[in-house]
Amino acid sequence: MHISTSILTWVAAILTIGIFSFLWKDNPFYKFCEHLFVGVSVGYTIAITWYNSVYPDLFDPLFMAPLSKVSLGNKLLLVIPLVLGLCYFCRFIPRLSWLIRFPMAFVLGWASGVVIPAMLQTNVLKQMQGTFLTPGIFTRWDVLLWAVISFVGVVCSVLYFFFSREHKGALKVASETGIVFLMVGFGASFGYTVMARMSLLIGRLQFMLRDWLGVIR
Amino acid sequence: MKLFNYLLKIDRRIIYIVVGLLVMFPLVKPLGLGVTSGPRARTLFEAIDAVPAGKTILISVDFDPSSMPELYPMLTAVMRHAFAKNLKVLLCGLWVTGAGLADKAATEIPPEYGKKYGEDVVFLGWKAGVDAVILGMGENIKNVYPVDYYGKPLDSLPMMNTVKQLRDIPIVFAISAGTPGYQDWLLYAQSRYGMRVGAGVTAVSAADAYPYLQSGQMTGLLAGMKGGAEYEVLVQKAGYSKAYMPAVAAMDSQSLAHVVILLLVIVGNVAYFATRKRGA
Amino acid sequence: MKRSIPLAICLIMGIAMMIQFFVPHPASVAFYDLTTKWVRIVAAFALVLGTGSLVMYHVDKLQRRRRGWYYSIVTLTAAAATSVIGLGWGVRPGSPLQDIIFSNLLVPLNSSMFAILAFYMASAAYRAFRARTKEAALLLVAAFVVMLGMVPIGANVPFFWFLVVMAGALIVAGLVTRSKALFIGTGALVVGLLVWLAFSGFKVPRLMLPDTAEWVLSVPNMAAKRAILFGIALGGIATSLKVILGIERGWLGGGKQ
Repeated sequence: MHISTSILTWVAAILTIGIFSFLWKDNPFYKFCEHLFVGVSVGYTIAITWYNSVYPDLFDPLFMAPLSKVSLGNKLLLVIPLVLGLCYFCRFIPRLSWLIRFPMAFVLGWASGVVIPAMLQTNVLKQMQGTFLTPGIFTRWDVLLWAVISFVGVVCSVLYFFFSREHKGALKVASETGIVFLMVGFGASFGYTVMARMSLLIGRLQFMLRDWLGVIR
Repeated sequence: MKLFNYLLKIDRRIIYIVVGLLVMFPLVKPLGLGVTSGPRARTLFEAIDAVPAGKTILISVDFDPSSMPELYPMLTAVMRHAFAKNLKVLLCGLWVTGAGLADKAATEIPPEYGKKYGEDVVFLGWKAGVDAVILGMGENIKNVYPVDYYGKPLDSLPMMNTVKQLRDIPIVFAISAGTPGYQDWLLYAQSRYGMRVGAGVTAVSAADAYPYLQSGQMTGLLAGMKGGAEYEVLVQKAGYSKAYMPAVAAMDSQSLAHVVILLLVIVGNVAYFATRKRGA
Repeated sequence: MKRSIPLAICLIMGIAMMIQFFVPHPASVAFYDLTTKWVRIVAAFALVLGTGSLVMYHVDKLQRRRRGWYYSIVTLTAAAATSVIGLGWGVRPGSPLQDIIFSNLLVPLNSSMFAILAFYMASAAYRAFRARTKEAALLLVAAFVVMLGMVPIGANVPFFWFLVVMAGALIVAGLVTRSKALFIGTGALVVGLLVWLAFSGFKVPRLMLPDTAEWVLSVPNMAAKRAILFGIALGGIATSLKVILGIERGWLGGGKQ
């Protein structure tokens, strides 16, 4: 066992124990760690946002860069997103809070317009193509069988979500078949979720046992 | 009967202690179960292996420290693979708190292969506006990132002379813990610019990625810590790395943890149905 | 005007970006580049707004001395200190922001927060995961197959033995609960296993658990997730159209203005 002599490793280990103490019961040490986490995250976000986003994209070209590097026209164009961005802060002034609608309208309109063709192509057309066309279905019997099962599964699962009509007759049969596929899908997700959560715990334990206590090499 | 009633009312802290001890045990005394690679990891490995030397691959670090045990081993394994094959690595990120992790990898991994920052690896940093970032990179990377994460102008980095836009990059490996993530790369980079997209995801969202695999939109998938372990094994077996494999080391614990959960569910169900039947 | 101009901006931007996707003309691409850049800048301000709101909440809590106000001092001090260190020393390699704050504060705190979920998941699985219905039982079996098939311990286990263990567990459950339905189901499973064994020449069939798990993920799971993906995609497209056309106006906020 080779316990770490680094003070920073000890700080990390103590904070880990602080968070884990919540498992026993809620306590002031855990609350301290939780609030520390929120504060550090906020401060880190501010620093990264300034150096990676605001300074190189806006502040530097608009205020710092000489006209030989960024023309006056380009500088004036940057005033528009600056004004739109500053409108966000009108949220804190009740009389002017309606100004926040302008940047939101710009961003929402832009994002909505961009996502429609992208979503249609990626999540609808390509997925439909994948449902109808599977490579190798005429070369191997098992590939053909699984492709047919997948096709039936997709159609029945989609029909399960069709609530505009009462699930009777053929729709009921299809819907109940869809439920079978959906349950298998959710079961698979649950199985993977168990893996995910356990991995996160194992990762923390590896730090404690390897980097802090030196029990494992 | 008393036993089943006791089992149903057991203090949850006893369950925590049992789980904690059983997960810790294989870390101290490995069970030696070994790791074999699945078809999804092999597909991604072969895709990156086939990239010609001198080309640049893009790795998008879209996760934060909460998913580090699952996803960081994938990042290091793929970077080691790329450097061993003399590929250049371009890092970027869509999660603000992931920037530190990409910085860590960009600092620690290249020296193992004698690679230099600016010539063999560049970390672009984080930028706000997910879809705007990807779409902007599709046209001109320097328009989106005039400087890298450390504030160095991209024009001063020799590696960026050959990489102007997303079409110059043969494959992007998006390591994602959720949204934004690989789905945004599929939505914008692939639909608009025809990019090949490989993904490394947390196990929570792994099952959701299978439709993209089947339709051929995604090239390979690493799912959770197991996916990271599979890639580490592939990289080591190919002789590209001799580094410590943290994901592989964790697999014995992972196996035992799953067995424990399975037994807990079975015991819980048996106790429940036994008490319910007799109670009725 | 305070509502109609934002709605008009939303409509114009939405339609312009939809049309732009199909128009490769240089003017269209220039417009696309410009608006993309503006969105990145405006999005950064939105992030600052979020952090500002959090700071204001804690300042208010401190001023009014609400319950737990002393923890707000921790949050505000940590935020201020981290911001000053980050903005002052920058993000160079080896900077205090990376080496001290990120590696030894943010990483352990963030990782530990999510690591404790493993315990809650184990407790929840033990207390709440009940196979009360056939659907729940099916979910459970699929989960077991994936849980064991996707880890090394299941790598060398034939699927046949997994089903034998399941049959054994069901027999024990049947004996404990004395349920007729359970006995009938277990009997059917045992008969099915014997038939399978007979077809494979009374040798354990070679189908392994990981292969079964991979099949479960690639076929039924894939079909279900694709159906859900269709629903999400069509719903997303519909919502985006409603936002562009001004039918969905929740983002405008309430009030007489």
